[in-house]
Amino acid sequence: MRKIFPAEELARDSRFIRQTNEQRMGDPRGARIAGGNTSGNLAKLTPDLPNGPDRARALMHGIFVGEIQALEGAGRTCWDFELGDEVPLALKLDMARQCWDEARHCEISVSLAEHMGTELGEYAENALLYEAACNPDPVLRLTGVNRALEGLAIDVFNTMKEFGNMAGDPVLEFCEDWMLADEVTHVKMGSDWLRRLTENDKDRLDKALEFQKVVDRLFSFNGFRGEDDDSPIQLTRRFRELAGFSDEEIDEIADMSRDARFEATA
Amino acid sequence: MVQVSVKPESFEMVFYDVAVIGEVVAEVAERLGVDEAITLDIDENSPLGRSKILSYDPIGLWVDGGALENTQRPRNFGQARSRDTIGRLLLRILDRRSGRFDDAPTDDELDLSQFAAWDVHNVGRLERIGLGGQRKRRLYQFRNRHGFTDLADAAFEELWGSSELSWAEIERISVGCRT
Repeated sequence: MRKIFPAEELARDSRFIRQTNEQRMGDPRGARIAGGNTSGNLAKLTPDLPNGPDRARALMHGIFVGEIQALEGAGRTCWDFELGDEVPLALKLDMARQCWDEARHCEISVSLAEHMGTELGEYAENALLYEAACNPDPVLRLTGVNRALEGLAIDVFNTMKEFGNMAGDPVLEFCEDWMLADEVTHVKMGSDWLRRLTENDKDRLDKALEFQKVVDRLFSFNGFRGEDDDSPIQLTRRFRELAGFSDEEIDEIADMSRDARFEATA
Repeated sequence: MVQVSVKPESFEMVFYDVAVIGEVVAEVAERLGVDEAITLDIDENSPLGRSKILSYDPIGLWVDGGALENTQRPRNFGQARSRDTIGRLLLRILDRRSGRFDDAPTDDELDLSQFAAWDVHNVGRLERIGLGGQRKRRLYQFRNRHGFTDLADAAFEELWGSSELSWAEIERISVGCRT
């Protein structure tokens, strides 16, 4: 079986339509992300918005395809690297555990899609998460996926959990809470392995953190994820701290979001 | 054939075709028994899904470009979504002309719960004549506005399955199940 499986060849049935990064970023109306649009006025995702329920449906579908890709990425990390030479057994065991979590999240997401009235494949799928999981360096891969993208997942799940709470929807609220707990663990895995594998390699650590910033930046346009009251996805400090982020790192993500917002409105 | 005027006449941001849009609007109108001219203004800059009635007589409609979009293929026209959007607007016009909605608030005065309840009644009727559906999507929206309760679900069923309710009946069902 080949190593580093390309995103273009991921198995999907006819229900799923892929949207490339070029198509998504090239939409002159503003890139679609997390159930909303980056070009218009931002607003925190709440049930009180006229389009709140539909935005929540779209975001939940984005979570669902993200879970599929996270499962595929963690599975590839179990396979793509040689034991001993490239990664320790404990890292592969962590990735195997993550596969189990992501598979469960896929099942939960399918049930939530049904609950929210969404067809599987109703929205276009973008494969950015899996593409980050194709980095040939396991440290960069774990940093990009487990710290940047799973970090984003913490913010998204917390936002959705609050949405469920505000709407009086216990199914959504509890499902998101359970998945959120797993995501904190996944991000913590990324933080721990980043520290362990780069203990004596400052250059590799710097490269990994730079890769994380690149991935984070891709999800920060127009301040979509941030700490402002009207940020659609709220940056979640407490859970990020639990997952091994320092205050400085969280500040940096918040600043990145503010900068992106400033650039968009300048 | 119903005469449909679409503005703008060509699109820069999305891959829509005025002729195709006109055909879909005319098809929906004919299925609903509307035989008068319709004007449709589209804001192609917006991928959101808002829509409203600009004028009841003559019929003037306004939509975000996203309200006619295929969600699987962003920037491309979606027939099913368009039928749903146009169908709901035209049914609201027909309802207001029927005399059964004389006591209904104006569109600007309707709150989110009232809109959700009326939309359920509209989309249920559209589904029965083969124009769209997405029953579970409407149920989720209705629950968000009326509560995730058995009472709200029963109210949804009544709104969805009824043929021609009056505004007073819709309001009674909606208010009666809110938590």
